[in-house]
Amino acid sequence: MAEMKLHPSCVADLRAPTFDQDWQRRAFGLAVALAEFGHYRWDDFQQALIAAIGSWQEAPANARGRWEYYEHWVTALTNVIRQHGLLDDGYSIPKIGKTAPPT
Amino acid sequence: MTAQFSYPGDREESSAAQVRALEALLIEKGIITSGTVDKVLSYFDSEMTPLNGKKIVARAWVDPDFARRLVTDTPAAVAELDLPEGMAGAEGEHLAAVMNEPGIHNLVICSLCSCFPWPVLGLPPYWYKNPTFRARAAREPRAVLHELGVPLGPDTEIRVWDSSGHSRWFVVPERPAGTEGMSEDQLAQLVTTESMIGVALARSPVES
Repeated sequence: MAEMKLHPSCVADLRAPTFDQDWQRRAFGLAVALAEFGHYRWDDFQQALIAAIGSWQEAPANARGRWEYYEHWVTALTNVIRQHGLLDDGYSIPKIGKTAPPT
Repeated sequence: MTAQFSYPGDREESSAAQVRALEALLIEKGIITSGTVDKVLSYFDSEMTPLNGKKIVARAWVDPDFARRLVTDTPAAVAELDLPEGMAGAEGEHLAAVMNEPGIHNLVICSLCSCFPWPVLGLPPYWYKNPTFRARAAREPRAVLHELGVPLGPDTEIRVWDSSGHSRWFVVPERPAGTEGMSEDQLAQLVTTESMIGVALARSPVES
């Protein structure tokens, strides 16, 4: 059962790799790393992701591009970084949450 | 999306460029170092894999008391096993196991984004994140499971668990017949990621 048809636009190949492109992998690692080091809570990222996916789903089918999960991931990452001011002058790392890097 | 990014190739390149720029800026600001992302990714590659889930399920198959604890307090039961330390911020909190049994089949989805119990199952397969799969599995789970070739009787109750930030479900599939006398390690090899999502059953020792 290598490939199973769920729907014309949803083919589940259970052996498919998780990331098709390196940028997806980097975006994933970046979002996790920033949460791990306490720059935001994982929930904050999750909410941003839900919002990004929600806008895509609510847009009319002819006005939105093809589904690409990690584009929403990048949108969410960009938004959560902005909301938490990580790139603003004078930003300091919050003293909350876990700070030790995974080793 | 502007016209200049309307071709698939450009769209990929645009996303790749955005990610490169973000990482470079964060490094420049001293928020992360150039090795941070690789370190996190290698942790996922080496430690947070479905191997953890396979061991948990195999233990639940051989130890009914553990199986009960696994359902009532999943994080505590998981902590009893000698598994890599989970990354608490990375979807490792709030693990919740549900048990298949005769007449009950559990299926895990995430209707909002793609919450997934990374520490026990690794990263989700891409179809788990597909909007069609998410919507159909919620709306017509029996049809979806039928299409996936999961043999379920008409009387089997299907329970669909919608993962969220606060409950990251995984399924303990039923122990296949003909596995009496198998060791925990041998049993673990019958457990697949798909069976722990609920889109398949555990492998039979005959087919493996």
